[in-house]
Amino acid sequence: MLAALVEIVLDGAVGHSPLIPKSPDISAWLRGTGIGERLGYRVFLIALIAFSGAYAGILALVGRAAKGRGSADGGQGSATTHIPVRWAIGLVGALQVIVFLGPILISTDVFSYIAYARMGVVHGVNPYTHGPRAILGDPVYRYVGNDWKHVATAYGPLYTLLSYPLAPLGVVGAVWGMKLYALLTGAGTLLLTWRGAARRGLDPVFALLAVGANPLWVIYGLGGAHNDLIMTFLMMGAVSFALVERDIEAGATVMAGTLVKATAAALLPFMVLARLRMGGVGGVRGLALGIVGALALATLAALAAFGVHGIDIVAALNRDAAFVSTDSFPTEVAHLFGKPGVFPVDHALLKLGLGMVVVYLLACTWRGYDWVAASGWTLLAITVTSSWLLAWYTLWPLPLAAIVRDRRLLCAILAVQVLFVVHQISPLLAPVT
Amino acid sequence: MKEARLIEATLLILLVILLAVASVHDVARQVGVNHRLVADLRTWRQRTGHAYHELTIEQDIKGHSTRETVCGNTSPGSPDKLTQLCLTIGGPVRNGRRTVLGGYYLPPELLDVRANRYGCFGSALSSELCPPAPAPAPAAPSTHSPTSANPRLPGGRG
Repeated sequence: MLAALVEIVLDGAVGHSPLIPKSPDISAWLRGTGIGERLGYRVFLIALIAFSGAYAGILALVGRAAKGRGSADGGQGSATTHIPVRWAIGLVGALQVIVFLGPILISTDVFSYIAYARMGVVHGVNPYTHGPRAILGDPVYRYVGNDWKHVATAYGPLYTLLSYPLAPLGVVGAVWGMKLYALLTGAGTLLLTWRGAARRGLDPVFALLAVGANPLWVIYGLGGAHNDLIMTFLMMGAVSFALVERDIEAGATVMAGTLVKATAAALLPFMVLARLRMGGVGGVRGLALGIVGALALATLAALAAFGVHGIDIVAALNRDAAFVSTDSFPTEVAHLFGKPGVFPVDHALLKLGLGMVVVYLLACTWRGYDWVAASGWTLLAITVTSSWLLAWYTLWPLPLAAIVRDRRLLCAILAVQVLFVVHQISPLLAPVT
Repeated sequence: MKEARLIEATLLILLVILLAVASVHDVARQVGVNHRLVADLRTWRQRTGHAYHELTIEQDIKGHSTRETVCGNTSPGSPDKLTQLCLTIGGPVRNGRRTVLGGYYLPPELLDVRANRYGCFGSALSSELCPPAPAPAPAAPSTHSPTSANPRLPGGRG
């Protein structure tokens, strides 16, 4: 894992790679080692597959050890494995730090985040009504992905406000700021995953490795400094509060996550339903108070900062739901049936399918199924039915899967990730040179 | 309860099989596309006489056609820092190459958008890839046929 990641980071630092977005030269110091070579698809894919293989191996080892101990203590579960905890923490920590020190990997999204922040802070342009094209002369503009230059932000107002302090730091300073946000919130997610697993009598080492050593988490999520890690941190924060029955905080935190990226709202109905089942209408009072309180505060802040457009997340989501990426499963299935891509009628069918899954999961939760697992399944269903799939979307349900007893969820997420990686390998089979 | 889990497991397995088949099918399809892209690169190198490796390929994603536009430098140097020559390539692969349908030039360090293109020829003239041509000078006869399937490449800006 470490060798594969070091290879990607050192080669990525050389630049001029189709896998490294055009960006300010933040990793020039890594070139001083003289080891790296221009990162091509072949090396990247071999490193990604090697990383994934090692990840599968280590999960199998730790999982088997935990299972062995679980059956030895009468199936009560175990909080530790015989895998040294320090090794696991050291490995995960090293992976996060290595990728943090390297260049931005794979995606231009971070430059969109910075562009939206600079639009608001430096240029006085509302990022909810204009795309980065409005700041054509700004130094960050040249790094924004071509597809996003005319597109207004679809991120929640809380995230946009969080990004504002980075705007005056210049492009390089803001890139490091975004990387730091991703590193810290990613580490926070891992800490909460550890604690959540331990609290539920599951092996925290397995949970930590399942998330923190996941190749897509490290290379795509953290490597691209994606704001999805801020969302997962808040999501896991909400789950942690809910597990200790601090409902006001749980409600407020899940709403904060939703105001970073609307996807986090998937937790809300399950959280509410589980409380309703346990404590009746009175049981959801705290949760409702937290949700409404956070929503009211955020609405006021968003209205003050961005006007009505800042709170119209639904319109932004509807717009983005129509996007189609070549990596999405609906696109692949469409190709399988001889269609060139996904059409509006397919979007309607996908929404219907997703709706049916959510209704079924709500019914299961009402009958006593773990609401955290149900939330994870919903997030997974969103990624599978979305016609716009990116690697880091598969990370949304991962921390939840690491802290639930229903291991089918983790298996399903990993299967989806395997298929995502398989879908990337065509340059390895037929290199374009 | 047991029955429900069995049904869930069956549905999940069927879904994973469908997605796996679709993914593998798509990889095979993409491998075919890659073979075509290799032919495009080979065509660009043959037509320009430059054995450069820093070439970019734009696929016709919106039109779902097999036409591609390949861009590369007109002289040796860093990509994007020099004038680019872009060729629109289409047709079937024959002897590892395809047909040049048209093309255009792009000034250094400018985005590949319609307004920045010049020296258009072949299909690029008729397919709205290029800005409207300026009024023709009275004594400047064309040296190549814009409708030819394999048009001669016009000279760069300098």
